[in-house]
Amino acid sequence: MLEPVNVSLESLNLVTLAPMLIAIVGALTILVVDLVKSGLNKTMYVMLSMLFLLLDFGSLVDFAGFFAQNGTILGFFDVMLIDGLAILAQFIIVVGAMMFLPLSLTSKRFHEYSYPEYYALFLFTIAGLQFMVSTDNLILIFVGLETSSLAIYTLIAMHNRSKSFEAAVKYFTMGALAAGFYSFGAMVLYALSGSVEINQIAAVLSADGYSNIGYVLVGVAFLLASFGFKLSLVPFHTWAPDVYEGSSAAMAGFISIVPKIASFVVAMRLFEFLVQSGVVWLEVTLYVFVVVTMTASNIWALVQNDVKRMLAYSSISHAGFVMAALIIGTTQANSALFLYWAMFSFTNLGAFAMLWVNREKSLKYGQNSDHQFERFSGMVHTMPLAAVMMGLFMLSLAGIPPFGIFWGKLYMLGAAVSGGYTVLALIMALNSAIAAFYYLKLIVFMFLKEPDEQAHEKYMTNASLSLKTIIGAAAVMTVFSVFAVNPLLEFITSFVYNSGY
Amino acid sequence: MLDNILSILIFFPALAAMFGFVVAKDSIRAYGVTVAAIEFALSLFLWYAYDPAVSGMQFMESLPLIPAFGISYLLGVDGISLFIIVLAAFFTLIGIASLPDMKRMKDMILTLLFLQMTMIGVFAALDAIVFYVFWELSLVPMLYIIGAWGGPLRIYASVKFFLYTFTGSLVMLVGMLFMAYFYHQATGTWSFSILEWYRLILPENIQLWLFVAFFLGFAIKVPMFPFHTWLPYAHGQAPTIGSVILAAILLKMGTYAFVRFSLPLFPDASVFFMMPIAVLAIIMIIYTAMVAYAQEDIKQVVAYSSVSHMGVIILGTFALNVEGISGSVFLMIAHGVVSGALFLLVGVIYERRHTKMMSEFGGLASVMPHYATIFGVMVMASVGLPLTINFVGEFLSLLGFYQQSHMMTLLAGIAIIVGAIYMLAAFKKVFFGEVTNEKNRNLPDVNKRELVALIPLVIIAIWLGVYPKPVLGPINNSVESIVQLMHEKAVTEEAKARIPDLTSTIVINEAKEETK
Repeated sequence: MLEPVNVSLESLNLVTLAPMLIAIVGALTILVVDLVKSGLNKTMYVMLSMLFLLLDFGSLVDFAGFFAQNGTILGFFDVMLIDGLAILAQFIIVVGAMMFLPLSLTSKRFHEYSYPEYYALFLFTIAGLQFMVSTDNLILIFVGLETSSLAIYTLIAMHNRSKSFEAAVKYFTMGALAAGFYSFGAMVLYALSGSVEINQIAAVLSADGYSNIGYVLVGVAFLLASFGFKLSLVPFHTWAPDVYEGSSAAMAGFISIVPKIASFVVAMRLFEFLVQSGVVWLEVTLYVFVVVTMTASNIWALVQNDVKRMLAYSSISHAGFVMAALIIGTTQANSALFLYWAMFSFTNLGAFAMLWVNREKSLKYGQNSDHQFERFSGMVHTMPLAAVMMGLFMLSLAGIPPFGIFWGKLYMLGAAVSGGYTVLALIMALNSAIAAFYYLKLIVFMFLKEPDEQAHEKYMTNASLSLKTIIGAAAVMTVFSVFAVNPLLEFITSFVYNSGY
Repeated sequence: MLDNILSILIFFPALAAMFGFVVAKDSIRAYGVTVAAIEFALSLFLWYAYDPAVSGMQFMESLPLIPAFGISYLLGVDGISLFIIVLAAFFTLIGIASLPDMKRMKDMILTLLFLQMTMIGVFAALDAIVFYVFWELSLVPMLYIIGAWGGPLRIYASVKFFLYTFTGSLVMLVGMLFMAYFYHQATGTWSFSILEWYRLILPENIQLWLFVAFFLGFAIKVPMFPFHTWLPYAHGQAPTIGSVILAAILLKMGTYAFVRFSLPLFPDASVFFMMPIAVLAIIMIIYTAMVAYAQEDIKQVVAYSSVSHMGVIILGTFALNVEGISGSVFLMIAHGVVSGALFLLVGVIYERRHTKMMSEFGGLASVMPHYATIFGVMVMASVGLPLTINFVGEFLSLLGFYQQSHMMTLLAGIAIIVGAIYMLAAFKKVFFGEVTNEKNRNLPDVNKRELVALIPLVIIAIWLGVYPKPVLGPINNSVESIVQLMHEKAVTEEAKARIPDLTSTIVINEAKEETK
């Protein structure tokens, strides 16, 4: 007969679960509504999800205020860890979700949006990612990771194209492999330290002076491979372009931003203490990963014929660029990661949304992908405003000042320079120059080439007022980002610094 | 008004361009000319209000932009930047006024106005990041001008132009971040203000690395000898207005940045690299002059001659004394006026015949006498005939460098003679002799619209050649303070010796006067 466990409810600090629970309740509510009355219009589901996300956002604001005053919050058997990183990452996740969800309000009908399950899964994804970032428990990270990943596989598969199924299966297979790697790695670390909490692991490892360094490296190698898959670092990136191509542009934009920030935060928690405590092997490996990811994906992006695939490789490259923060490891670098990603989400949102509004229901004869470069030729003559918008997003992605991503790049390069990584800073700078070429390629097509005959019918066929609003908002954010940088930077730096990173 | 005149100068054209989207196509030229005229008037007002006796920055504006990282919106002009700003406003005005009728006129004029914002921004910025923002942003309108209105290879040329400059400036950006980092190390606060950076004395080895990082960015823009390959393409493919703005203003960004950044920030490195850069500059002068002689396309002749003269500017800048630097800054203005005018003149003939091959022409002097006269004056100015604008700048630049090395100055002087050869040869081929090609028989002479652009340039070219003082005075004043700053900042003995100490010369002069 076991003793009854006696835990007081206050010590559980259940409120730490509030943001995730709001998303989960939202998902369940949508399912319940569907049970009561089916066949409702997608607009209702979208707005309902938006409301729950807003609530989620509100609770995060609450936590942010609390963190600013009292510091890190632990809860639920100390499994939940709401520190500055968790709050910042959740902000990006929830805001990213709120920006991408309305992209389903297209003027054309895509059948996945008529299922309420789509929105439920979407909210489950968000909840999973939120769990992932707000804990340092390897098991809960795993649960969060799998919740979100499984939901995303399904979301991709729901898009009704033969390539979507291919994409979903590819993503699922790779994801399953990554999950396997992750559990192996976690198992090794648990075997070494007897704990699944990252800070405990760090304490135990440093207490015995990394005497089992061989085993640590085995564990870290597995974890690195696992996050390599999730963050699509070269050479674990092979799924990414196909998955981007197979999913709808809205979904592709979403997976290029939101799940990645969650993985970044976990990688930060996992790897930074190792790099800082002098595990040279890991530092070297990460260095190689970062350089190869940036450079190789940039070169692959040069030869793409489809804008979406180009953007897929470009976001791999951006992820590599941001990964540099893990090597540098200073507060400035970690803040730069969040600043960069916040800026990147707006620009990338705009770019993918522009692809999404130009989406046609079915491919024309002789056209083998949705967004070939040729489709955009001479766009400035037929749709000047749309071309200017798209050009703006491309310039921002290329890092032309004063548009959004430039400030992230500047701060990240500054962090590399201050951290003493001169060569890395130069490699990062030169990679931006390579990247400029393929972003320019689209600008060349849009602005410098002549349009072909049926140009008028091709553009903006999928646009609706809400999509245009989102693109406009993204453009405004991109152009006037310079005024947002200082408040953002101060906010981010204080949160990162107070979490001890 | 006076407090914010630089901001107004920068953002007025951009704002006007935004409003310009609404203006109907048939009225856009008048709109563009009016806006550019207001802008030019404002720039003249700036000149009028500028106090030539003061050597430091004037009309400063400061506004914290990203205080967390030390970036502020800091503007100001001194004698060095003032005239380039006026020149930029002037060339935009005559560029728009003389624009021939073309397709998508409206896009062109609005792009030019945006370009004007970036040009004035570069020369007025005193914060490295603000400078960088305008520096990079200037690539975009130029890319569009070359790529959309250029010749058959326009896309290749425009992308090459963009990528070359972008790559160089990214390395420069890393250099700027290092500079800010060293400033942070020294003072504990972040700052990208150039004026703050001036106060920083760096050890020589760090100066050398940073100098190289900045040099890459600037040298590609100028463009200096091994990095010049983008320019002939850009000039060859660009429409007339693109070449004019590129040669007259955009290239000056590089040489201006040498004076603003490289010299005062890294005096020891400047001395260390003086001879290698001088060698590059002389190669640039001689080699491009010889290449220019071999061209069959009149526009390429002008393009290469423009590169060749940029070499003299670099040589003057790296003389590191008041004569040399003042001369080179003056030559920037002169080069802007002269090569801008030459490109406009080439545009005039291209407009009529749609060819730039010299073999197609000959004997034009009898068909288009006014045109030939103006062209002749500009050729004379370009080869540096005394009493023309280029002469003053070239003479001072070479005089300055003569104090550093006699042989090199001699070589550069020879190159100027080569310059006279190819320019006069080209002039002869096009204008003298019999009219051999029937198509040239009835070419109309320059029309009013073209004269509006050309006459003022001729007047400036001669006026400043005869009486350069109103421009040279303020330049000299500001350059003196830079040279003095460099002398004080220099760490090594050699640099102290190479860079003259102006206070001591003043003392000597006073002593001389006393003995008299």
